[in-house]
Amino acid sequence: MPRLAACRIAWVLVFCSPSTLIDQAAANDGQPTTGPIEFSRDVLPILSAHCFACHGPDEGERQADLRLDLESGAKGAADVTGVVVEGDPAASRLIERITSDDASDVMPPPDFNRQLEPAQIDTLRRWVVEGAKWQRHWAFEPVIRPAGSIDDWVRADLANRGLQPAPPASPHTLARRLSLDLIGLPPTPAMAAALAADPSPPAYERFVDDLLSRPEFGEHWARMWLDLARYADTKGYEKDRGRTIWPYRDWVVEAFNSDMPLHRFTIDQLAGDLLPDPTPDQLVATAFHRNTMSNDEGGTDDEEFRVAAVKDRVNTTVQVWMGLTMGCAQCHTHKYDPISIEDYYRFYAIFNQTADADRSDDEPRMKLVTVASAQPTKPEDKAEQPQDDADAGVVRLPVMRELPDEQRRESRIHNRGNFLDQGDPVEPAVLAAFRSESDLNSAADSVDRLDVAKWLVSQDNPLTPRVWANRVWARLFGRGLVETEEDFGTLGSPPTHRELLDLLAADYRDGGWSLKRLLKTIVTSETYRQSSHVDEETLRLDPANHWLSRAPRYRLSGETLRDQALAVAGLLSNKQGGPPVMPPQPAGLWRSTYSGEQWVDADGEDRFRRGLYTYLKRTTPYPAMIAFDGGSGEVCLIRRVRTNTPLQALVTLNDPVFLEAAAALAKRMITEASDNDDRSRARYGLRLALVRPLRDGELAPLLRFKDDALNRFEATPESAAALIDSLPAAISRFSGETVPPAEFAAWVVVASAILNLDEFLTRN
Amino acid sequence: MSSTENRRLHKADSLTEPMRLVRTQTRRHFLSAGGLGIGAMALSCLASGQASAAGGSAVTGGDGPLAPKPPMLAPRAKRVIYLHMAGSPSQLELFDHKPELEQLHMQDAPPSFLEGKRFAFIKGVPKILAGQFGFDRYGQSGQTISELLPHFAAVADRACVIRTVHTDQFNHAPAQLFTHTGSPRLGNPSLGSWVTYGLGSENENLPGFVVLLSGGKTPDAGKSLWGSGFLPGVYQGVQCRTSGDPVLYLGDPAGIDRGLRRRMLDAVAEMNDAEQRISGDPETFTRIAQYELAFRMQMAVPEVMDISQEPQHVLDLYGAQPGFVSPAEAADDPRTLYRGDDPTFANNCLLARRLIENGVRFVQLYDWGWDHHGSSPGESIDETLPIKCQQIDRAVAGLLTDLEQRGLLDETLVVWGGEFGRTPMMQNNVRSELKAGFIGRDHHPYAFTIWMAGGGVRPGLAYGKTDEFGYYPVENPVSIRDLQATILHTLGLDPHRFHFRYQGLDQRLIGPTDEGRVLDDLLA
Repeated sequence: MPRLAACRIAWVLVFCSPSTLIDQAAANDGQPTTGPIEFSRDVLPILSAHCFACHGPDEGERQADLRLDLESGAKGAADVTGVVVEGDPAASRLIERITSDDASDVMPPPDFNRQLEPAQIDTLRRWVVEGAKWQRHWAFEPVIRPAGSIDDWVRADLANRGLQPAPPASPHTLARRLSLDLIGLPPTPAMAAALAADPSPPAYERFVDDLLSRPEFGEHWARMWLDLARYADTKGYEKDRGRTIWPYRDWVVEAFNSDMPLHRFTIDQLAGDLLPDPTPDQLVATAFHRNTMSNDEGGTDDEEFRVAAVKDRVNTTVQVWMGLTMGCAQCHTHKYDPISIEDYYRFYAIFNQTADADRSDDEPRMKLVTVASAQPTKPEDKAEQPQDDADAGVVRLPVMRELPDEQRRESRIHNRGNFLDQGDPVEPAVLAAFRSESDLNSAADSVDRLDVAKWLVSQDNPLTPRVWANRVWARLFGRGLVETEEDFGTLGSPPTHRELLDLLAADYRDGGWSLKRLLKTIVTSETYRQSSHVDEETLRLDPANHWLSRAPRYRLSGETLRDQALAVAGLLSNKQGGPPVMPPQPAGLWRSTYSGEQWVDADGEDRFRRGLYTYLKRTTPYPAMIAFDGGSGEVCLIRRVRTNTPLQALVTLNDPVFLEAAAALAKRMITEASDNDDRSRARYGLRLALVRPLRDGELAPLLRFKDDALNRFEATPESAAALIDSLPAAISRFSGETVPPAEFAAWVVVASAILNLDEFLTRN
Repeated sequence: MSSTENRRLHKADSLTEPMRLVRTQTRRHFLSAGGLGIGAMALSCLASGQASAAGGSAVTGGDGPLAPKPPMLAPRAKRVIYLHMAGSPSQLELFDHKPELEQLHMQDAPPSFLEGKRFAFIKGVPKILAGQFGFDRYGQSGQTISELLPHFAAVADRACVIRTVHTDQFNHAPAQLFTHTGSPRLGNPSLGSWVTYGLGSENENLPGFVVLLSGGKTPDAGKSLWGSGFLPGVYQGVQCRTSGDPVLYLGDPAGIDRGLRRRMLDAVAEMNDAEQRISGDPETFTRIAQYELAFRMQMAVPEVMDISQEPQHVLDLYGAQPGFVSPAEAADDPRTLYRGDDPTFANNCLLARRLIENGVRFVQLYDWGWDHHGSSPGESIDETLPIKCQQIDRAVAGLLTDLEQRGLLDETLVVWGGEFGRTPMMQNNVRSELKAGFIGRDHHPYAFTIWMAGGGVRPGLAYGKTDEFGYYPVENPVSIRDLQATILHTLGLDPHRFHFRYQGLDQRLIGPTDEGRVLDDLLA
């Protein structure tokens, strides 16, 4: 792809000056040294973090009747001296107080745990000098599409800091990167070879289109969504019994595969049951909010846990679509963002009208007949007898159902979040600060979940497109443009590339909310196609790759690590959907109180299904996934914070699943390599795993290790036998028939070494 | 010599002899491994902070997340052993002696006990139930202790007994979560995760936060009790098991010995190193170090978990039996198989000391089977409680004695308790008459007993008083948040300032409000 014309970059710099923004973002609390102060970028984060706790939206905590979250509060006309006087820091009591030497006078008070830095005081003063211009928090402003492309915005920043974009990655690397990013599986050698043979832009685009059209695409992106949907196969808490909710998971996979637009994806899941004549699929979609936990522990108050589930729905909805933390407002008015406790319970009132009530049978449920011939599932009258459900392929899926009019609940504010201490009644409404004129015109009593869903994806909602575009970016680049994917409020981290984020957000929203389209836009950019290699100078200037001076390099997720190992070994099942499966896990892990449910290691194909299908028990998640920062499905998990621990190495070295994969890979190396010599076999295995062509000398350590291992196994045949006997018969039988046991055992450990290479564990 | 190296040497000094041997051998191997030693080099590189300077995420040493960190305040304790009796033992039989209950025995509970209350199982008007066991005063401090805990009574002068703890929750899973994570809902980091996050670990070859279970079942709230919540996963508790792999996937696969594994890791490290030269990514050093640490952990964990190395007199002190596997562990309902001489909990107490001694920051024991409702077999106050007490009494006293003899008690905080208490009324939902083996009490969140010892808390203190029925505190009530604040404080972590930024907020163990107080009265 041609380099951008220099004049284009200059244009961007002159008119939009994105660089100062990023300075601030990177340092977070640092300040721009040049250029005018911008309120939402430079000042609001300071006021929010250091002042709002006592002078913010929360009336209960407000001191001195002063609020600094509103312009009228800071510049109140009634106050002659003025807290903030435009252009006059000497007359501004804000400046006077923050610079006071008097411990009884200075703000914030000395015992407040967030003191101001000198640079922050300077920023506030300059802001007043420059006229104390007020703005809304950036993320609450409308999304307006900026000019330019992804690469324009990234390169403008790079150039400004003396950085160059990295050269494009090799076609083999791109083939692996695209494949892992889009379908969560490695490419076959043939796929990578095809791209290498023709790396032209049209061929690259075809490669992307092919991946986007594969059924594995939906499986991979469903995992992203299921973290947010707090999907699990059990109900949580003490008994943590099983829950049949996998048809919802299959719905999600299909929604991604069919590129269901976000507005439909939203409406169906939040309010499919409220649509006129909903289809069965639209009802299945509402299981989204039946992923809340329920407590079957004896002696619990069902109402308490019903209320907890409704609050979870409220918090999850706002968090997932709008990136705002509602949780605080359930006890008191939010201290930093414009959400009052009344707003919270008005929103709660909308969700407080469903028929589920923490019942142990998980009612209301819909009956689905699942037929092996892949016919669509269809609902039937739930009054029918359930005795022969299992035989008939009948499952009952928890769904959302609105209470009939005569049973509707009155909702009240819960004082300090305590459902036993209820205050004033409230009418249902969406969040006041984000209501548009048209929302305000609608009668309050008609607000239901369907209205919420439509409001979330309406053209004027500023947060939904930003939050979603950021989320998609983060899944590809390892980190969002707003790093705090879960918080777009005033305390969240500022975006590294604000215009780029708005560009993607506008593109997504105005392009029909098509995820595949958004993905294609991003992955065909030069920014995405950069090499991940880095030199020392770049590392010094951009150590954490905030400025995208190279492609990111990061450890794959637990699911992808599993899927990749099985795929390379040739074991991975391509069976899609259906009930969750139980691949081998160490015995004795499930010891839940009063629950007789057992983990039974699967045989045959179900042993090798994608990680997406592994049974997730909330109180005892699959250990190999949890070791890699996977979620337990207890609450909405917005992003997995990646860690590297020795326990992860133990999984990929010693977990029988990975050992079995190593053995199967060894078998492929022996039987499929072009020649029967060690070099061919080692090369074949390494190429299957790493995809790229090998460098000179790269095989040497592996071959030396193979010789060493062979010597050891020949010297102690009982070790070779022990290793082989521990493998499933299908693999162990192979040894002895084709190669001597010591030879096979040596290749197994070589293959295990390959599956533990940093490059294999890493997306690069 | 860098300060990091200094610290590492110092740490080596505190290792047990076998552990030191392991380390020396490992080092010798690096030096002799064909001049490679890439793993060792990566480790030392990380320890000196070189690799992680580039935004890396080294595991231990240097700036890594588990590197030891200085506390915020002068600490009284350096580490914690928390003994949680899951199900909640009856304070009225063990610590809170209420002769008044005997006078009202089997009379209807007064309306004031019932109005506006939610009970888990009690229905209608229950009867008052007298304490089922005798009490006496012990030691110089004159602590009132039940006849069911004779060994503990003998060391009662070391403990600070709080009889007025109260909680917000009256069901097991939420109450356990509230006690250990500060929230009754799932998804928040546990106390052990917070402490490990705040202080790091003193032994890079062992997990910083270890969990040991007994009683045949996972505690009611499951592994969420030692989850790291919104803290990075590196701070989650690692369950160490006494049968099977002590840590999941710790053992090398069959047929792969240490020597072969060493060669394998050397080959992998050599290839990773070559790749790093091309990619330039310092994170690759983190990966190499991660495998090196795993290799060491594979040796260090079984070593520290092997209580058979302890001399007989120490085993006897706890009542421990190396290698014992309780039949209760495999039973679907272990409660009816409980025996007083089951040493599983004792083994775990001894393990706790070994782990603490080797630099583990937080050891959490859960012993299940203390939920004595009296409504089905194996869960009564009159028959099951004495058995459970026998299982733990000698072990707990032995632990305090052993820690003291080794000079570790001063810097180790030991906490004992359940998630709530039990009602002064007899549970009545199955039967309302007294029947041997079926006498029980319901869940009682308003007042119960927790004790602490060592780690800078006042020994021999009896703190707080309940009313004549043991229903409510009448003097010095202590909330769960007070308790959490106090525990953090003893470790040198200011409970009000110690936080983790998540969802835009400074999240704290003690929650968003400042109602949790450090109980200065309890501190020595």
